[in-house]
Amino acid sequence: MVRRVLALTSGRIAAAVLTVIALLALFGPWLAPLDPLATGDNTLAAASGTHWLGTDYLGRDVLSRLLDGSRVSVLGSLEVALTALVAGALPGILSVHWGRVFEWTTLRLADTLVALPFLLFAVAVVALLGNGLTQAMLVTGVLVSPLFYRVARAATLAVARSQYVEAAVVSGASTGWIVRRHVWGKILPPIAVALAQTIGVGFVIVSSLTFLGIGVQPPAPTWGGLLASDLGYLSHRPWAPVAPALLITATVWASNLLADAIRDVSGEAGRVLLDDRGARDGRPDRTDPAPAPAPAGGAR
Amino acid sequence: MTTTAAPVALTPRRGLAAARARHTAGRVLAALVRSVAIIVPVFLVATFVTFALRALSGLSPARIQLGEEATPEAIARVEAQWGLDRPFLVQYGDWLDGILHGQLGTSWANGADISTLIGLGLGVSLSVATLALLIGVVVGFMLGTVAALRSTTWIDRAITGFVTVISVMPAFVVGIVLVVVFAVGLHWFPSGGYVPAEQGVGPWLAHITLPAVALSFDVIADVARQLRAGLVAAYRENYVTGAVVRGLSPRRIFFGHVLRNGLGPTLATLGLKFPALVGASVVTEWIFGLQGFGRFANDAAQAGDVPAVQGVLVVSIVLVVSFNLIVNLVLARVTPAAQRGV
Repeated sequence: MVRRVLALTSGRIAAAVLTVIALLALFGPWLAPLDPLATGDNTLAAASGTHWLGTDYLGRDVLSRLLDGSRVSVLGSLEVALTALVAGALPGILSVHWGRVFEWTTLRLADTLVALPFLLFAVAVVALLGNGLTQAMLVTGVLVSPLFYRVARAATLAVARSQYVEAAVVSGASTGWIVRRHVWGKILPPIAVALAQTIGVGFVIVSSLTFLGIGVQPPAPTWGGLLASDLGYLSHRPWAPVAPALLITATVWASNLLADAIRDVSGEAGRVLLDDRGARDGRPDRTDPAPAPAPAGGAR
Repeated sequence: MTTTAAPVALTPRRGLAAARARHTAGRVLAALVRSVAIIVPVFLVATFVTFALRALSGLSPARIQLGEEATPEAIARVEAQWGLDRPFLVQYGDWLDGILHGQLGTSWANGADISTLIGLGLGVSLSVATLALLIGVVVGFMLGTVAALRSTTWIDRAITGFVTVISVMPAFVVGIVLVVVFAVGLHWFPSGGYVPAEQGVGPWLAHITLPAVALSFDVIADVARQLRAGLVAAYRENYVTGAVVRGLSPRRIFFGHVLRNGLGPTLATLGLKFPALVGASVVTEWIFGLQGFGRFANDAAQAGDVPAVQGVLVVSIVLVVSFNLIVNLVLARVTPAAQRGV
């Protein structure tokens, strides 16, 4: 699947951007040219040789703060995605197998979690349960887990009711073999799509929380915190928010792009889409009737 | 939809129209019953989780009122005053009873009535959220329809690209950009604050436009994408081919056949957008200096004022649930297919 995702241009772009962001998170704190916490007299300076992105209201180097803060944002979004994966996908798969009571309960829970405005809830929970981004991300992960629950449940239902699984059971295949041979291939792609999407969502939430100053201690730099401190000095440095805003937007965009790329290359719908694209490219104009029936039949 | 049949409404069609209206009413009623059956457990679970927050947080009004160095006796006295020494379920019962009567309790921080405080902020937030929804639906509807009608042309690709770009911009990033460009740069709009509608519609609109636009980007993107996909799929259906063969005008095919059947996913998405709007208001109200619902939530949470936070969460749950109910009913009215599985 990885190879097929990378075969798409959008998949390659997404992978490249995400790799850069991940490298920033890994090595950013060491790459920072200056001490991100060191204040100076040269406050609110424009971009220059020493300060590539200028300085903030305490004279701290913006580039260093940006690099140093990347780790918090990336780790936070990964934490959200993994928590949601565990809290959502497992019950989703098990809801098909563990009987009606479990199914009904988890369905109602998923409905409830969807109804909660998660940013509001994350703010409330973090503020009440202690000021740590880890707790915040665990809670947010649980709140966005219905996505995984639904996706995993739908995929499992489709597999469990399919005739090829029945045939395998009848012909005496072991459960482990059926899972490896038939179930994984159906369930993993939609979960991978959801995971990529959730990383994007988690990134927005981490940035929003740090923007509000929740979950981090003040001097420590974060991308959201940088935006928040820029907000007060917009009339002096109107270009200051560009760098953190671009980084956040690019990361979210790359995650969504990756999700689309995975969706494009996996599953029935994905294959139809690829065929559809090929057909459209090869078609001189829309009046050509020959390739038209193929996408019409397969799109459903 | 009875109106679309009206031009050809000859006498024998009247009975049919009446039967159809009855059928629609029955469908809406069934949707109402089904939605309520789902909403009641959702509401109970959500409020229980909300209430359990206090027990989990270990916060107490004593710490806010008496400070860190209070004696254990003083703390016990204050907690008894607030009724916190009673069993957990008794407290929950009392609290839930209050909520059902519209009483959200009093704030730990200043003893004010939380319902009143939230009511003050809600006017601001709902103005912004409604305008954001309005902008999102109108603009998203136009973009999605144009993209679907001109699908696979450069117009479609340009719109899809634009929608992708705005869909990945978080509300607070958009908000900051808007402040920089339209408030600080061009001075077209005030950069923050709020004026109630009673003091003039013009200033009121000027103050809520930027936050509403910031919130609306997400809605625009989702509505446009879903609508485009729904309409393109509906155009491929056999009944559209049939309508073309029967010689119906493109406009009638679009409004009578395509739009009605392609609208379902879009409406369902709108139901899910509302929680996001309520949640994002926490951030946008911070940027634009609005003393709204989200700002109140943030301030209360940071102050450790548990009853206020609980009140905020309950109100947001009620808002979201009732909005979903409305969307479900509209969905039942517009598209019959929405009956299969909620």
